[in-house]
Formats: sequence, structure tokens, C-alpha cells
Amino acid sequence: MNEPFCHLDYAAATPLDEQVFLAMKPFFTERFFNPSSPYEPALAVKRDYQAAKAQIAKTIGAGPDELVMTAGATESINLAISSFAGHKICASIEHDSVRKAVQSAGDYTIAGVDKTGRINVEELAAAITDETQLVSVALANHEVGTVQPVAEIAQVIRKKREERLARGNRTQLVLHCDASQGFGLVDIHVARLGVDLLTLNAGKIYGPKQVALLWVKPGVKVTARIVGGGQELGLRSGTENVPGVIGFAEAVRIAEKHRKQEADRVRNLRNTLQQILANAFPNAVFSGHAKHRLANYLHVSFPGIDAERLVFMLEMQNVLVATGSACAANKSTKSVVLEAIGLPEETANGSLRITLGRPTTEAHIQRAGEAIIAAVRQEAERTGTAL
Amino acid sequence: MSRVVVGMSGGVDSSVTAALLVEQGHEVTGVYMKNWSQDLPGMKCPWAEDLADAKRVAVQLGIDFKVYDFEKEYKEQVVQYMIDTYKDGRTPNPDIMCNQEVKFKLFLEAALADGAEFIATGHYARTENGRLLCAKDDNKDQTYFLYRTQKSALEKTLFPLGNYTKPEVRELAKAHNLYTAQKKESMGVCFVGQVGMREFLGQYVTTEPGEIIEKATRKVLGKHDGALFYTLGQRHGLNIGGGLPYYVVGKDMVKNEVYVSTDLNDEAMWRQNLELGSLHWIGDVQGDGEYEVRIRHRAPKVRATLRGTNLQLSEAQRAPAPGQSAVLYAGDECVGGGIII
Repeated sequence: MNEPFCHLDYAAATPLDEQVFLAMKPFFTERFFNPSSPYEPALAVKRDYQAAKAQIAKTIGAGPDELVMTAGATESINLAISSFAGHKICASIEHDSVRKAVQSAGDYTIAGVDKTGRINVEELAAAITDETQLVSVALANHEVGTVQPVAEIAQVIRKKREERLARGNRTQLVLHCDASQGFGLVDIHVARLGVDLLTLNAGKIYGPKQVALLWVKPGVKVTARIVGGGQELGLRSGTENVPGVIGFAEAVRIAEKHRKQEADRVRNLRNTLQQILANAFPNAVFSGHAKHRLANYLHVSFPGIDAERLVFMLEMQNVLVATGSACAANKSTKSVVLEAIGLPEETANGSLRITLGRPTTEAHIQRAGEAIIAAVRQEAERTGTAL
Repeated sequence: MSRVVVGMSGGVDSSVTAALLVEQGHEVTGVYMKNWSQDLPGMKCPWAEDLADAKRVAVQLGIDFKVYDFEKEYKEQVVQYMIDTYKDGRTPNPDIMCNQEVKFKLFLEAALADGAEFIATGHYARTENGRLLCAKDDNKDQTYFLYRTQKSALEKTLFPLGNYTKPEVRELAKAHNLYTAQKKESMGVCFVGQVGMREFLGQYVTTEPGEIIEKATRKVLGKHDGALFYTLGQRHGLNIGGGLPYYVVGKDMVKNEVYVSTDLNDEAMWRQNLELGSLHWIGDVQGDGEYEVRIRHRAPKVRATLRGTNLQLSEAQRAPAPGQSAVLYAGDECVGGGIII
């Protein structure tokens, strides 16, 4: 009971990096000024704020004046998607924030995925009509970690755009990418991805929660949902969250600096845990793409076992993992993602989402492996389930 | 040892109930009854959290756990009854109705169909061969809410908490290290409790403002927002300030008027003779005779004589509200009761 936490749910939340915290601190206290104020100390804050934004922009290959800072990825996503009134397309496995925003106004098409959770690019291309204005695709799926062929989709969209123009159809067609999951593990560069709008989230990369951004490619027209003082290029009014954005920039810097080593490190640990579980339970089902999967994601299902019970059993030993999806679990509803990738209900109900993070060590993996095996065995025995 | 299905609400009482049954060696399945999940204006229904708490305890105890969904039936039989009774100008008791129609009928039937030999709940009461007996903890005794159940249901019911006091139950929860040990008590109709009956009823009935009239002087003292919201003896929520507190001593649903008085001894508030409807018996002792009676949960019992449907109390009681129950006891045994007309 008194063992320290073994947190393996970093897709849900990451702890604030100590260095990020230190970078933020002065902006809460002695440097609390409003960047819009006219005196020098405030102007200095403004300069630091803009430098922070410029640094983030540079990291993702964007221009310094192309970022709209928001209070969270959900807000960025809503700002992006609600700017387009016409037909929209998103994948069946998108996060609620994307699907609901797409479904909330105008026509829409939900595009399917294969059983690894990869978007079917041909199906998506076929869904694009002459009226389609926006396609929204997550860089990586939040439940199973499958990384999407975003660059490939971007190319399809570029081609469609050219075809339209050739026919004199000037309707905007843009690609929004929600890259909340994956920063610090995969390359995120707006030109290489070929997207027009990009959402990034500080809360998932050891930065502060409720801090995110929407990158808007020059020429793409986004409509403000929150009006007022005209901050953030007039696209998101409200006094700037200076400490938040300073922290975001520092979090981006650290994540990018260690990206390659960190991805390799967590991939090895993840593979170790997958092997441990696969050895113990030949019937265990691992979801997500074998290759195109975030290095820190392990989605495992034990058919016939109730995953929520496993979570509670593990929680008693301070081992913290998620069921299929944290949000879905709270609402006691089925996971849309697992349904979309065709997992039978019995398998989906036995799913754990295990996501590794920077603090995860080999010792955590061994301890989690033992705890999960013991819990699954206990439940299998109690219910007479063969595994 | 028996196969027992225990109703688990996610509260401390039903958690300890389940723990005791496991300890006694029964083959126990925990069941969360999903009776209500709707959010109300200004109140998020905590059913999902309660369900998770109940399940956590089931996992701690290593027992099976499932959900019975009675939402539709609860709405039809308990909520509708509540609304109808208020519309009639009377004061319903949804807990009694819930026990009568849901817990000791639908839940029992579903549990039996699932192979249970007994059901169990966290009520503070005792049973002996289908007889309903008061709990050891007089302060918590819940037989008042159980008198409209059936003897045949009680024969298949276990109340493991009947021999414990509430503080003892809290101690047991701590000793078993149950997840819910520190959880606060929920009172009354849980989904209404926090927003208030007025807001809840406002969803279902339209009301007109009316006058609050001082009974003795016929003076209009203020406005109310619907006579159905007021119960005999009620003091709070009258929106008339200053001086002595006023109490509701009567109302006229047709005229939509509420009558109030500062006189705690107003004759309308004190009744020694009650007419009962829907008499219901569960004990061996039945019909005319001498009983002890409770006119509300936790009220002290008073002696009374029943002749037909007429109940003569040995001393006048304050504000026996029409729609509430008068529950009859023979010694320690709850034998039945009726609804005050």
C-alpha cells in the first residue's frame, strides 16, 4: 500500500518538469505584469513572451506570428474546426473534442480506419467533395497510439486543392492536425507534415495544463471565438498566460532536445512490457499499429476480463494505468476508438492503456508487469476465464 | 452459506454490508442499481462516481459486480408518484415507494433470476423469518421506509447492519480498509437533495405564483411560487421576513393559497386523530388494535389505537403531513402502516 506511485498513464497527464517550473516562477510573482501595459518592466515581459512563442514556432518550422496561444488543446481544436462552416471530414477514432466540433455545424463525413487504427487514405480522399473545407486528423491516436500518415494525407489534400483551382473552385480546403499526443517522440514540423492548422498541448509534454496553441498557416482564415482586447492576432482575446507560455516554450525545448534518445528509451521499455505480458498471456491482444505507433504507447486487451476491475486492483498497489480511454471510462461508455478498429466488445472491455513517460524506469516496468500479471490471473481465476 | 446479491450504492453502509456478507462466508455478488443518472440544473448527478466507488469496494472484496438498470421503472413508478402526489397537494415519500417498487420487488426479482437465494441491503433493520424488526441503532432505524414491502420479499432479505450502530459501521469500514470508509452520508432522495425539491419539480410541473395568507387575520403576507411546494409544518422558504417565524398550517390547491401562522400550537398543525389510506400489513399482528406508531422517520413512537382506517393517537403530533406514512409497530416489530389522508 505504501509503495511509491508507479504512474503509467502519461497520455492523460504529465508532471510539470522542474526546469519548466523554474522558468515559469518569476512570471507568477515579481514579473507579473500585463504585456499590454505601457511601462518598461511590462514591455520586458512582452518581449520574453514573444520570444517564447518564437522559440516554439521555430521548433515546429513556423513563423513567429503564426501561433495563437489558447487555454488547452480542446480550445485550439474548436477554434480551428469551428472556423469552417462547410463540409468537414475527420476520422472515426478522433478525440471527442475533434469529432464533436466537426459534428456541431454543417455537413460532415466520418472516415474509417483499419484495424491498426490507421486512417484509410483512399477512403478519406474519396470523401472530399467540392464543398469540403476542412479535414482534421490527429497525429497519433490518443487511445492506441497509432501514428497517422499525415504527410500522405496532406499530399492528397494539396492535389484536391489544385484540381479544384483548375476548375475555378476557390473554396478553402485545409488540413488540421491535432498533435497533442506525440510531441517529444516524433518529428513535428509543419512543412514536413504539410498541414495548414496544428494543435499542440503543453500539458502532455511536462508543461502546464490549460496551455496550448493553434498554428495557423499564413493565408488560412480562422475566426475568433473569444473576442475582447484583440490579443493573439485578434484570434484569441484575453490577457496572455505569460507563465504558461514561458513554461510551454521550455517544455518544448526540453522535449525536442531529448526527442530521439527518449523515443528509443521508452520504446525499449514499452517493448519489454509488451513482451512480459505477451509471454504471460498468449491470448492478450495488442492494439495499434506494430510500427507506426507512439513509442510510449501500449494498448493491451485481456478478452473476458473486466479492465476497470484491473485498474482498481492495480490502483490498490499504487500502479496507475488507464482503461481504454480515460474519458470514456468516466462516462462508463464504450470506447469509440476500439469499436472503430473492430475490437469485439469482450476484448474492448478488457483493455488497458499503458503509456510510459520520462520518469518511467526499468524498475517501474518490472513492477507494473508483475502487478498486471497477478491481477489478470486473479480475475481470470475468479471468473473462470481462460487466458 | 448462501448465494447473496447485495445492493451496493457506493456508500459506506452498503460497502460494509457486502464486507460482512463476505466475512460470513456467503457467495456474494455486488449490484449497483442504476435508478437515476440525469443531471439537473446546477447539479451533476454523481451516479458514475457512485458506481465506480461501489465497484472499487467489490474489487477490494474480490466479489462479482454488476449493474441492474432500473432507470425506466424508477421514473415511471417513483418519480411519477412523487410528481403526482405533489400535484395533489400532498407530500410524497419516494424512499418508501422506491423500497416497495424497486428494491424489494424489481431488484429482488432480478437477483433471484440471477441465481441468488437472498438479497441484502445496507438498511438499518432486522428480519426474523420474514418479520421486520427494528434495528439495534434506534437513531438509524429505517423500518419506517420498509413497511410497504412484502413479507415474501423480507423472507429473502438479509439486513446485516441491523445489529450494528452507525458508529460501529464506520469503524468496520475503517477496519476493513474499505475505499468508501470516509464517504459522507447522502440523505433523502439523492438526486434531489442537492438542488432542492423545488428545482427538481420545476422540471416537471408548471406552477403559478400565489398568496401567502396569515390564517388568523386573513392578511396577505407575501407571494409564493406554487402551493404544491409547501408542506404542513414547514418553516423555511416562505420568503416572508421579520418577527416571529411563520409555519405552514394549511393550503388550498385550487385557490393556490398557502396559510401560515406564528402559533406553534395552531390546531391545524397538531393532530391526534388520523385517517389512513392504503393500509398495508407485513406482520403477524394485523387489523384493529393497540400499536405504537411513527409518523415520520426517526420520530419517537407514540401509542395509538387503530379502528378500521382511523388511528387515534395517545397524544397529538405536530404536522402529520398528508401523503406521509403512519407506520405501526407491535413492540420491536414493524407490522405495517398506512398513508395519512
